[in-house]
Amino acid sequence: MTDSKTKVMTAHEAISRFVHDGDHLVIGNYTVGTCAELAFEVIRQKKTGLTLYSQSGVFDVEVLVAGGCVDRLVSTYVYRAGGKEGGSAVERALQAGTLEMEDYTNFQYNARLVAGMHGFSFMQVLEGAMVTDLFKKRSFMGEDKYRVITCPYTGKDILTVPAANPDVCIVHVQRCDRYGNAQYWGALGSVAAAALASKRIIVSCEEIVEHDIIQSSPHLTIIPGYRVDAVVEIPWGAHPTEVLGYYNLDRLMYAMFFVSDMRGDGLKAWMDEWVYGCRDRADYLDHYMAKHGSEMLEAIRAKSYFSAPADYGSAFTSCWDDEDRERTMGLTLEELEEILEERGLLNG
Amino acid sequence: MAKKYTLDELLIITAAREIHDGENVILGVGLPTTAGALAKALHAPGATLMMESGIIDFQPLVPPNHIADAHSCRGFSYATDLFSAFTMTYRGYVDVCFLGVAQIDKFGNINTTVIGDYYKPKLRLPGSGGAADFLSYAKRTVLTMRGGDFVEKLDYFTSPGYLDGGDSRDATGLFPKGSGPSMLLTTKGVFRFDEESREMYLSRVHPGVKVEDIKKEVPWDLKVAQDLSETDRPTEREIGFVRRFAPTEAVGRKLMYELGLTNAFKKAQERGKN
Repeated sequence: MTDSKTKVMTAHEAISRFVHDGDHLVIGNYTVGTCAELAFEVIRQKKTGLTLYSQSGVFDVEVLVAGGCVDRLVSTYVYRAGGKEGGSAVERALQAGTLEMEDYTNFQYNARLVAGMHGFSFMQVLEGAMVTDLFKKRSFMGEDKYRVITCPYTGKDILTVPAANPDVCIVHVQRCDRYGNAQYWGALGSVAAAALASKRIIVSCEEIVEHDIIQSSPHLTIIPGYRVDAVVEIPWGAHPTEVLGYYNLDRLMYAMFFVSDMRGDGLKAWMDEWVYGCRDRADYLDHYMAKHGSEMLEAIRAKSYFSAPADYGSAFTSCWDDEDRERTMGLTLEELEEILEERGLLNG
Repeated sequence: MAKKYTLDELLIITAAREIHDGENVILGVGLPTTAGALAKALHAPGATLMMESGIIDFQPLVPPNHIADAHSCRGFSYATDLFSAFTMTYRGYVDVCFLGVAQIDKFGNINTTVIGDYYKPKLRLPGSGGAADFLSYAKRTVLTMRGGDFVEKLDYFTSPGYLDGGDSRDATGLFPKGSGPSMLLTTKGVFRFDEESREMYLSRVHPGVKVEDIKKEVPWDLKVAQDLSETDRPTEREIGFVRRFAPTEAVGRKLMYELGLTNAFKKAQERGKN
């Protein structure tokens, strides 16, 4: 385990230390509350040759592909701006031959990470897909995209996918302590599996909280501290996507991205302004407020709706009662030690 | 005089009527969520609404932005993960799901992945997402197509309908007996699948649409129900619900964008003045 003091760092330091060219990188978030700032930092640092895993691409996959970071994509769902007239960075890269993509279903993709998370070499998936082109048309995974085996118990054909253990996961959560205990709630999706399957984990969070907050709500922890390499506090770190309990989707910003993304030059201009043009998230927020006003952020700030606290209390937290007598034997420590002495049970 | 309705309202309300009380329903974003909200509010209060992101038994208060949008409700009953949402479908606990379609063939097989060659696509569409597994294992599936095409042969076979028709789906032994698409809803009518041949036929036409207009869009000789009738009129209560719950859906995407942009522009101007 890395020393806790060194885990809290900036996005710049985390990405530069833990994401390397040619890595298999997984976006831990699924559709909601994506790790926008961490993805932006990957682009700013011009990481290249990545194999990108994403359960469901939102604008995060688009900017990473447009930023030239990605050679290969493993996903189930490609973002598309507009209908037939529209487009996407993924579509343009596939057409240009600069990107290879392997398609899975939501379940199959997740199953690869679940296998990886538990240390298995493959996972059984739902056999119906065997009749589809998902099974028949394969990209860079080739024969290893799927294998069919015989179930040793029923004799039936079983469709399987290989485990995935990405080199590094970038993921955004609501809160985390400085040890890396990351708490996330809402649509659980495949967030835990993506993180836990990975060799290194970079967590960004809306806020770093004290450890006792985590300790009193362990059911919300989806990544344990001992697995985490870096903790980055980034308020508004998922903007323009949303974080439950913090802020809603920024529809205006999202619509502007959508319109920009329909064409390659439009997306480039958007990225020049919002990714390359901003040093970090604080700079991005300054730029946003200068352009749209802070009231646009205030309008999407969440109003609290607190979860009912789960009571983790117990009858006592010490073996010694109010009179300092041991609860089972009814003796004080001195009395107990006398008995031990009498019975000849103390050595040395 | 009966209350007037938009085409989008008609589609949402027609889809909602496919949800019955007490059913477990997987909803996709857009039309299906609004249909689900309407069903739960008006005729299926005991339905359990679910999204594949692991949000189970929710009551949307505003239309969700996507299938992982817990902001659209005030809490929900069961927070599980995507893996479990699919295995519970596999085990037969999902009665009905809703899927959008880009291309569909005669037997309800669908493509949502690509137009043109898979490796060098003309149009790269979203892909499977949950579609292939839901169409495989939900007891029944309602398909919706807006802007998609009927084709003889799919450019890419994403999700299994009735395969080659007849008993070919059941004969594979891969799918629960009786599962598959139960209905296709388009902007012009409602299609169902023949019990024996499993071929798609036109079951209802939306008011004002001619059968010939629909046949023109279908490259094979489309069969038409003997008792073909018009799609049932939405009730005033249903229209009222949709318009209140999802005004942006009710007006349709195009008008929503137009009015939304006008409003954003107006607001920006007002800010400029201050």
